[in-house]
Amino acid sequence: MSVHGPLIEVLLSGAFVCAISDPENYRRLQDEQMVSAADEYLKPLNRRVAQSQDGQVFFLSYLHFDEQARESLKQQLGHTVQSLLPLLEWMQLVQETLGRDGAISAGDAIKLQEYVLKTEDNPSLRQRLQLLANDRFFNSQADSVDAQAKQIFKRLREHGYLRQPHNERQYFEVTGKVDYLIEVVRFVRDEENLPVSEDAVQETLI
Amino acid sequence: MSDTHPVNEAGKALQPQHLTHSLLVTGTERLSLLGKHADVLMRTYICGELDESQVSERGLKKLVNAHILYQPDETRGFILRPQCSDLIASMVADEHRRHINADVADKLETMRMRVQNYRDAQRCGDTIKAESELQHLTNQVHDLAGQFGEAIDSLWHRLNSNFGFVSSLADKIRENDRAQKQIKRLLDGLNLIDFAELIELGEGNVHLRKLLVSQLQRQLSGHHTSLLEVQVRLAQLMLRFREQQARSVLIANMAGFLREHPGFVVGSYTDRSTVPDLFNQAKPIVPAAALSLDSHSAQQCAAEIARSLPMPERQQDSADGERAQVASGADSSEVEARQQALKTDVETFMLEVVDTGRASSALDYLEAKGFPWDAEVWLFQVLSEYQGLQHEQRALFRLQRSEAAASRYNDLYIISDLELSFVQAA
Repeated sequence: MSVHGPLIEVLLSGAFVCAISDPENYRRLQDEQMVSAADEYLKPLNRRVAQSQDGQVFFLSYLHFDEQARESLKQQLGHTVQSLLPLLEWMQLVQETLGRDGAISAGDAIKLQEYVLKTEDNPSLRQRLQLLANDRFFNSQADSVDAQAKQIFKRLREHGYLRQPHNERQYFEVTGKVDYLIEVVRFVRDEENLPVSEDAVQETLI
Repeated sequence: MSDTHPVNEAGKALQPQHLTHSLLVTGTERLSLLGKHADVLMRTYICGELDESQVSERGLKKLVNAHILYQPDETRGFILRPQCSDLIASMVADEHRRHINADVADKLETMRMRVQNYRDAQRCGDTIKAESELQHLTNQVHDLAGQFGEAIDSLWHRLNSNFGFVSSLADKIRENDRAQKQIKRLLDGLNLIDFAELIELGEGNVHLRKLLVSQLQRQLSGHHTSLLEVQVRLAQLMLRFREQQARSVLIANMAGFLREHPGFVVGSYTDRSTVPDLFNQAKPIVPAAALSLDSHSAQQCAAEIARSLPMPERQQDSADGERAQVASGADSSEVEARQQALKTDVETFMLEVVDTGRASSALDYLEAKGFPWDAEVWLFQVLSEYQGLQHEQRALFRLQRSEAAASRYNDLYIISDLELSFVQAA
């Protein structure tokens, strides 16, 4: 227990452990023996160590589904589905505002100041940010771009999608939880047979 | 491949004297045209066409004669000859325009011919001609190896810059695709080179063997390895590009769908006999613990912790300190005066909030007024003044605390600031 005590504590707190959010514990979880020892330890708590499909994110799952577990999972699912649209919109907005090639993914760095400057220059981006900030998930009543962006990034940090390495600097790193979110999107699409494709229309080369 | 380029011809020392001399003169003259008109030519490279007002009629004629510029047809202006564009693109590593020449068959054919000429000249005892043919052959071998070297340089350059010379992801994917096709053509070209044939060509002659077998073979096998490596890296990069692209498209489409279907609900995944792993997320548990005094070791531990607790340092400033001073018999009238002053300042603060009708931060006010109070004392006093108000009066104010838990496992809330606002009587 002494070696993986901190790891267990972090996992129990509901954190998503990935290479960006918590490199030390992520490294520990690469050891299968460590994972099975943790599983053994967590058994009486009806918990086990789970990971996303691509193995980039670790979190705790229920071992058995009793009534309590199901109730909590149901709530959790509700929250996840509700937060889907604001999170996806945020990802789109960041990509467009910063002029990035692809969608943001784990390990990407975002400077809040750069984001704010680029948004302030563009009325349409400003309006979209305002709408997004007013969303229940971000819940900002602020008027200024700076305050709206700060609130959004703060909420994302609280939800584990972003890491802020230095408290006093507005510099963020995207964590593996964003990749987990994409897995959720794919899952929901496949389960519900949604007409949501991910193939770019291939332009023909002449 | 005809050697019309002045650079190749000008450098040869083994031509008959008069020919060499006239080549040298023409070549130098024409090369200097490039330098003389560098600015105009570069502009032509960038714009695509020559701005004829920038160059005299005579100058233009010279550039055309030197095979630097030409006019494809009457309706169009003058443009750079492809060789010149290639030269510039290669010099400035302009990946948009850099040309990759994968043609090997023609060079091989020329090499075979040169070898034949060389052997013929040797047989006839014409050493001057033989030397000159060997020189040509050497150039040809360098050309062939250099052609691959240049291509590989361009490929690495594009790879390492992440195709940064185009802006959109779709363009990058197309550029990557083009690069992969180039590699395929280059590899096909390399496969045309039959080393058994080169060995045969070099048979019995030390110069030829050195040139065709040891030198060329070594260079080409190096290039072959490089090409395969670039190929693998390009394929990896392409995979990443495609993933990125798929991801942005997925995000955009899903967001679009959700916007169009605001009432969208998912199935009850959590009621299934096996909940999908993705949604099986256990509720957080905070492993709280407190010191218990029912065991001897814990008592010792408690004593140690108690001993290690830092003693209050700022006795002068803290509210506790002031009380301690009173108890220790310090000049109590002075302390009382200080406390009265503090109280008055807090009241002024509250009155100002009422006057302005705006919510104000207690700490901002303290700083703005430059009162001598310690921040903690000030907040404490604001809090106690507020709580000391009559119930009806207190209802007219709203006090908001900016506070945060001391840590994730510690429910002690620490107040960092207070915001007081005046509620207009409804």
